[in-house]
Amino acid sequence: MTPIIKASKVTFTYPAKVTALRDINLELNEDEVTAIIGQNGSGKTTLVKHFNGLLKPTKGEVLVEGKDTRDLTTAQLSKIVGYVFQDPDDQLFMSKVYEEVAFGPKNLGFKGKELKSSVKNALKMVGLWESRKKHPLDMNLNDKKLVTMASIIAMKPDVIILDEPTNGQDHQGIVKVESLINKLRKEHTVIIISHNMELVSKVADRVVMMYDSRVIFEGSPKKAFTKKKLLNKTYLKPPLITQLGQGVKGMPSDVLTINELVKELQKVSK
Amino acid sequence: MAIVKFKDFSWTYQGYKKPTLRNINLSVKEGEFLGVIGRVGSGRSTFCMTMLGLIPHFFPGRIKGELVVDGLSVEESSIAELSTRVGLIFQSPDTQLTGAGTTVEEELAFGLENLGVPQKEMNKRVKKMVKLIGLESFRNRSPFELSGGQQQKVAIASVLIMQPRILVLDEPTAQLDPLGTSQVFDLIKKLAKKGITIILNTQKINYLAEFADRVAILNKNKLVKVDKARKILTDVKLLRRNGIIPSVYTQLSEQLIKEGLYKGSLCLTLGDAKKMIKKVVKK
Ligand SMILES: Nc1ncnc2c1ncn2[C@@H]1O[C@H](COP(=O)(O)OP(=O)(O)OP(=O)(O)O)[C@@H](O)[C@H]1O
Ligand SMILES: [Mg+2]
Repeated sequence: MTPIIKASKVTFTYPAKVTALRDINLELNEDEVTAIIGQNGSGKTTLVKHFNGLLKPTKGEVLVEGKDTRDLTTAQLSKIVGYVFQDPDDQLFMSKVYEEVAFGPKNLGFKGKELKSSVKNALKMVGLWESRKKHPLDMNLNDKKLVTMASIIAMKPDVIILDEPTNGQDHQGIVKVESLINKLRKEHTVIIISHNMELVSKVADRVVMMYDSRVIFEGSPKKAFTKKKLLNKTYLKPPLITQLGQGVKGMPSDVLTINELVKELQKVSK
Repeated sequence: MAIVKFKDFSWTYQGYKKPTLRNINLSVKEGEFLGVIGRVGSGRSTFCMTMLGLIPHFFPGRIKGELVVDGLSVEESSIAELSTRVGLIFQSPDTQLTGAGTTVEEELAFGLENLGVPQKEMNKRVKKMVKLIGLESFRNRSPFELSGGQQQKVAIASVLIMQPRILVLDEPTAQLDPLGTSQVFDLIKKLAKKGITIILNTQKINYLAEFADRVAILNKNKLVKVDKARKILTDVKLLRRNGIIPSVYTQLSEQLIKEGLYKGSLCLTLGDAKKMIKKVVKK
């Protein structure tokens, strides 16, 4: 299978002379959910901004569907890769939810029925069709974030990147995001950046761990959360339930959910 | 003695018919650590903004009742006056950072300069704060050339450096990694020990369980209940009725009780859960 995104030897230095990516080699497969995890400042946002061409590598290359991002215009790239910002206030600017969501597809040349149906579909998907006449900045953080997601979904990109999708959300918000990712994965390649390991363990097929501008691990969540040394080095922690399980003698170290832990405890206590 | 006192307090934003805060009655004692929980949209962020006087002095609207903070009536005092006593840390660092300083260190010094703190004292405090929150590696960079989490740390530092007597935090660690989160919570705990009054709005029930004296639940713009932290946070019916999911440790203990593997009271903290598991395994 050819990867949908391929980064080869990518190094990136910001104009302020901060090198945020060093020699990144990474392949992302179509139709997978990849979670990028790592400490604050480890380079996660910088990396994904390369996938939709917001940033171009200082050295090395990024191929999206086989094409070098340097040879594609922002408009061409945004048809393929959609990026939902970490902070919704950085993205929202229209005075009605509907207009906000229609802005992107309009720019891509969607018209008439196609435009209407893509906006409607996106708003229904995030559960905000009823709120389409509201002012986005008047909404609570849960919903603002969902509006920014809808405005990317409406553009129908192959790849959707969600930068900290559960940032500041309450439990209902987190549950909504989780089910949204599960809907998106049917038709899109999904990349999330998250500090929420519970979410990562539930939705990700693959985990990419970053540390100090480099990728230091790739693999399944179960594998990632048992790499004690790497986790210690990056000050990351497995989900709380996994940590509890790891404290019990004779229990597998990759227990991810409450139900798994209860089952294991049933075995041990028999 | 009450350092913050809401009396029949209601607030309605201009242009809205229904109040965002409705008939709040609450006294917070000096030195107390109060946790605030509730669904997004329950009025928690507005609640946080009242104490610094952003409501009603920055956002237009209508107040009913009274709010007294450190002896000052919020309605009759200016934000400037209130800000010498109350520090408010916002959820989004973008809201907090003034952009007044071209570097992180200048951003931190900005508030102190406005208060007329002498240069020497100012430098000392900046240095200390940079170290406490872990800003060393980018202290000379512009606050806008940082990652999301790094910006959040700078925003937190810029408030803590003012040494307010009352600290109000609105979901301060939403963007922080586990290390940053525990650094910030440890710091808050230290401040609480020093006698600073803390009002912390957060979804991270696990942390509240460890630190808070009392917890208040907001739902649909009303204060539903205030009580001892453990009492509120293990009252699973009350939590669920108000749209709040209990901590994972509580959920685990519920499940183990249901399966007949454990007989005992519901867990709240990591410590509780470890003890419970020991019992279950020994059986
Ligand atoms: N505009 C900028 N100019 C200069 N340096 C920057 C800029 N944006 C980010 N950086 C730096 O690049 C590095 C990587 O930042 P990035 O935003 O990619 O981190 P991140 O992994 O997304 O972190 P977080 O979890 O805090 O969002 C950090 O050291 C950061 O300070
Ligand atoms: Mg980031």
